[in-house]
Amino acid sequence: MNSDATWIVQAFFDSYRLHDVDAMVSCCSELAEFHYIPFEVWGKQRVLRGDGKVRTIGKVLWTGLIQSFPDLTNEVQTLVGDESGNVAVEATLSGTQARVWGTIDNLGKRFTVRHLFRFRVNTEGLIESITAYWDSAEFQRQLGRVEID
Amino acid sequence: MTTRDRSAHSADANRLATTFFESLNRGDVDAALSLFSSSAAFEIVPAALRGTAENTGRYFLSALLTAFPDLLMQIRSLMTTPNLAVVELKMEGTQAAEFLGVLNQEKHLDLDQAWMLWVNDDKITDLRAYWCQNQLYRRLAVKRLDRISILG
Repeated sequence: MNSDATWIVQAFFDSYRLHDVDAMVSCCSELAEFHYIPFEVWGKQRVLRGDGKVRTIGKVLWTGLIQSFPDLTNEVQTLVGDESGNVAVEATLSGTQARVWGTIDNLGKRFTVRHLFRFRVNTEGLIESITAYWDSAEFQRQLGRVEID
Repeated sequence: MTTRDRSAHSADANRLATTFFESLNRGDVDAALSLFSSSAAFEIVPAALRGTAENTGRYFLSALLTAFPDLLMQIRSLMTTPNLAVVELKMEGTQAAEFLGVLNQEKHLDLDQAWMLWVNDDKITDLRAYWCQNQLYRRLAVKRLDRISILG
């Protein structure tokens, strides 16, 4: 296992738990890619996706999520790396809603949702790609939204 | 474990994962399930299905292939360690029967997913799959989470 790769990913989740978005971003390379697969906001003319760069899309989404769920936290269940800088993480994210989040009105409800993250860490020990999978239906159901856009 | 041992075991995880999805692409549930140990665990997180490969796995995979007879699992990335394969893939198919409570409206499905397969002694011992059920519902024209089986 590439211990540097798992170390930086662990540091990323530790920073996330502390709501230190700047520290999360500093775990990533300048042009790190960001892919939050389930994140889709369907408008009338276009679909906004959680696809782009950590320093543009990722930072904005993390900051917004922390503002909407001020007690947001994560618990890492599995953290495994290979010898090529790939890391897989199973983590449970949870938080209590305090503000509107996207199309989800604030009903003051709490979510607890399991996630699978895939990271790629470069030879300099920085995250160069983050991809996340989770079930948005479960997330929305727990927060009281039943409409599918 | 030596580097050579690790490489050999990673190759096993790679081969088992690849063979599993190739079997599904051929519509062969028995071949897919033959890759599992007798007490292997099987969990589909977004469907809240958890049990053994023998029971839950057979139920889910049979339902999947009945609902999507032209199912195609296209692997996009494969990460392997000596005892784990993490597969990112795109699942595609055209609905031909009810699936997880969703009535058939003959919609085409394409869905990004991630599957984790733990291996030991040349068998899959644990499988866990993640995807967004909201995306699945959206593709299959479901409008509300509290009315999965209602059209319109």
